[in-house]
Amino acid sequence: MDRATLEQSFERILAANGAALSRLAASYTNTISDRDDLLQEIAVAIWQALPKFRGECSERTFAFRIAHNRGITHLARTRAQMSDPIEEIEVYDPTPGPESDLAQRQRADRLKQAVHRLPVGYRQVITLTLEGLGYREISDVLGISESNVGVRLNRARQLLQDLLEKRK
Amino acid sequence: MSTDLEMDVWREQWQADVAPAIPMNLRRKVERQSWLMKIGLISDTLVTIVMGGGTTAWALLSPKAEVALVAVATWVFLAAAWAFVLTANRGLWAPSALDAATFVDLSVRRCRSALGIVWFAVGLFICEVVFGLGWTYHYSVEREPLMKWLLFGSVRIDVVWLVTVAFFGAIVWYRRRKRAELESLLKLRGEMAVSTGIDRDVPST
Repeated sequence: MDRATLEQSFERILAANGAALSRLAASYTNTISDRDDLLQEIAVAIWQALPKFRGECSERTFAFRIAHNRGITHLARTRAQMSDPIEEIEVYDPTPGPESDLAQRQRADRLKQAVHRLPVGYRQVITLTLEGLGYREISDVLGISESNVGVRLNRARQLLQDLLEKRK
Repeated sequence: MSTDLEMDVWREQWQADVAPAIPMNLRRKVERQSWLMKIGLISDTLVTIVMGGGTTAWALLSPKAEVALVAVATWVFLAAAWAFVLTANRGLWAPSALDAATFVDLSVRRCRSALGIVWFAVGLFICEVVFGLGWTYHYSVEREPLMKWLLFGSVRIDVVWLVTVAFFGAIVWYRRRKRAELESLLKLRGEMAVSTGIDRDVPST
């Protein structure tokens, strides 16, 4: 793959998946600056892995695999210092909008915080599901069987319901 | 609410969080970081060439026969370091598959390898210091009593002790960090295998 093609692929992957990658990065981090750092690490890893990418899977699967792998590395490095992550989450808050938008944003924030509380194995499956991936793609990203994806998703959903009920 | 509908609502809420766009200068940062990583690899190779080549050149140019011993020892130390590191990192350069489970497994093995390398580095450093000091003392023109020479011999000897203290400080810090990372990775691997043991969630190490 020549450099121009590489650059085009890189731009395309980031343009198509930038928002999703940012949300995935947020699910592994507690603060905005950590999320941005992780996002940058993910981008670096994508750039470095691109020359070896032969299209065995979709670009989205490729990017999400890398994002989760970098997320795991980030967790392993920082976890020992974490106290109670959920209370420390800085929620991204763009300029204030109308009240209905505010309510919608609060619901989204509650969901994000609840997802953040899930054990990693469940969190990975639910974030990928929420990004619109099917069982097959999730299985490719995480390296587990489709049946296990289903088992985890059910359990993650139950936990998420419990957490959202508690926070109401 | 049906489960599918509930998931659709969550998906909508989740994706409504449109995070800020990836910074425009990201590619520049990415390229700079990739370049720095290459520099790191090149610098390791350069250290080998400079140390090995430097002592070899010194041995060839010096009329003193004992300098050849320094060149030989330097190459032995360098060869031992490369051999150990390459052996310890065998199979750890890239994951066999790109999925998260394989990646975590690889990270665990890399951490264990790094901890093994720490012990080797300590051993190698001690050998180098003992050899360096031994050689310098043995071939010094005016030989003082050993203890006096070691403690008050010269500024160069003081520098050796300072470097030794810094080296062991760094080793203790690095080992502690790697142990914490390993512990955390093992815990994560356990969490990632939370649901069942029905398939290859946790590849064996």
